[in-house]
Amino acid sequence: MEKITSVREWSVAIRINHWAMALSIFILIVTGLYIASPFTLAKGETVSKFFMGNVRYAHILFGVILLFLFIWRVYLAFFSRFHADWKDFLAWTNIKNFIHQIKFYLLITKEGPEYKTLYGPLQSLAYIGLLFMVFVICVTGLILMGAGYHTGFTYVAATILRPVENLLGGLAMIRYIHHIFTWFFILFIVVHIYMAFWYDAVLKKGTVSSMISGNIFKRVKE
Amino acid sequence: MAKGNHSDYKKMIDRQYKDLMKHCQEHMEQVEKNLPESTDDLHEMLRARGISRREFVKWTSAITAALMLPPIFRPMVAKAAENFSRLPIVWLHFAECTGCSEAFLRSSYPNVDDILLETISLEYHETLMAASGYQAEQNLEKAIHDFAGKFICVIEGALPRGLDGKYLTLGPKGKTGIQVAKEVTSKAAAVICIGSCSAFGNIQAANPNPTDSVSISKALGISTVNIAGCPPNSVNFTGTLLHYLMFGGLPALDSLGRPVWAYGKRIHDYCERRPHYDASEFVEEWGDAAALKGWCLYKVGCKGPYTYANCGKVRFNDGISWPIMAGHGCIGCTEPGFWDTMAPLEKPLPDKSYGGGEKTVDKIGIALTGVAAAGIAAHAVASAIRHRKDDRINTEEEKHD
Ligand code: HEM
Ligand code: SF4
Repeated sequence: MEKITSVREWSVAIRINHWAMALSIFILIVTGLYIASPFTLAKGETVSKFFMGNVRYAHILFGVILLFLFIWRVYLAFFSRFHADWKDFLAWTNIKNFIHQIKFYLLITKEGPEYKTLYGPLQSLAYIGLLFMVFVICVTGLILMGAGYHTGFTYVAATILRPVENLLGGLAMIRYIHHIFTWFFILFIVVHIYMAFWYDAVLKKGTVSSMISGNIFKRVKE
Repeated sequence: MAKGNHSDYKKMIDRQYKDLMKHCQEHMEQVEKNLPESTDDLHEMLRARGISRREFVKWTSAITAALMLPPIFRPMVAKAAENFSRLPIVWLHFAECTGCSEAFLRSSYPNVDDILLETISLEYHETLMAASGYQAEQNLEKAIHDFAGKFICVIEGALPRGLDGKYLTLGPKGKTGIQVAKEVTSKAAAVICIGSCSAFGNIQAANPNPTDSVSISKALGISTVNIAGCPPNSVNFTGTLLHYLMFGGLPALDSLGRPVWAYGKRIHDYCERRPHYDASEFVEEWGDAAALKGWCLYKVGCKGPYTYANCGKVRFNDGISWPIMAGHGCIGCTEPGFWDTMAPLEKPLPDKSYGGGEKTVDKIGIALTGVAAAGIAAHAVASAIRHRKDDRINTEEEKHD
């Protein structure tokens, strides 16, 4: 006899963090790509226009928000009172599961591996990759910010990061790396959204809605 | 800020400047005693070139401000300028085009900076000296010996390390550049690199760098003052020397050895076209209506946002103009490796292409996203077929629940 129950998977903090990050990253991609290849506003007087200025403002505002969301997420991974999930990021170390999972994704097997961790083996690797991407884009973003703003927190961060700037070849290279990582984010999002819906369709556990309600459905034997 | 705090703050600043002034005065007395007599009378030279006293005073104000000193230091700057010719200088040339010397010494309307540079006590300068061969060699040895620990070594040009340094040999004994540089710099009071070649390697060190050229600091493992630029502004050099004459030390340097007073901010921060950048008004191609209106050059490849330098503030040739004012974007010549990192020079950064073709980062990105989307579509269809008759939800059993 089987019964479907609803199990809490995500804490409120994780859910807020997830959607705030999603929104920030979306805005950052749109504004970032505008900064990289802007279109000209030919009409009107210069004094009455501030479009690039506003786009940069939004980008940097959400950039700093993303930075704090990143710090918060890493904090939760270690110190969350609901479920500190840092160990779950290591699910990929189980090689047998890892290969099994690939077979499942490639539709060779019909059932995925059993794992007790929050994330599957490939998922854990993808999310480590995502956190690394956020880290790199925040560091390069802070350096770019520091180049234009010479006070306070930004100045301190930029001073600490100056050796990184020099090592990577100056602001131009920092900007270029920032741009390349933008594409990594776009690719990640495309695959991430598809996989969420795929899980929903194949495993029928309510993966997509779980990030809103916090609960996932489980079949339990009675 | 409360008023009391404010006056305390002001007092503190006043005291700091007073201390600095005292230090400056003491040092300059020291200089009077230790350095050789002036070879040229600056004021006579200025008069001969038609530069009035008034203009000289104006210049001292400008330099004082540029060095971020308060106006009370103006007389000290003037004094240091008079003493300029007392500072012994040995000027070396390695792998370079002599463009920096040319830019400094041959401007058509010499200003005070240029004339100052003419008064410089060049104990040795390969382009300007009359001596050659063994005689030149002797001059160099004598200068290093006579002014050991006192002279400033100015270097133009990178050092090739390939073939044991033999891509560059100098003088009758065929010494390599690295040997000469080692001998001279080891006795110098300070080493000032003029131009991006000596500072960072510049075009000699650009990919693929067949001669393995590197900057002076990298070739010799010493720290240098880097007056970067291709060519740099003469003000950045004279200002640094004046600072040295006034305080007996080098000005604050950034992590790449560039004086902060000159290279502390970016071109983009000082640029007169910046309001057009913020207003999204860009030149789309050379000579279009936007170019005539003086709009921002970002989309025709301006590298001002990535380049630390004060060109827009001090300008070139007696403040007449500078590249962005003249209508071409900044190419980033004060940054290390700019031929590689700033390429393409007349297109925005993301237009850098791979394999000499049209493959830019955006085109690769779009292609990869397309591949991902196609892969997803195929996977979705395959999944639908494979998991069509999933027994995961057993309708039979569900009925019983
Ligand atoms: C997912 C996150 C992000 C994306 C997709 C993104 C994207 C971009 C892109 C495409 C550019 C233009 C680069 C170019 O010209 O080639 C840019 C510029 C910039 N980004 Fe980001 N960025 C992100 C996060 C951040 C963060 C976290 C910060 C700061 C903490 C930041 C600060 C900046 C700054 C300061 C610039 C330069 C703007 C200017 O100087 O005009 N970005 N970003
Ligand atoms: S012309 Fe160059 S330096 Fe000036 S505002 Fe435009 S991008 Fe910045």
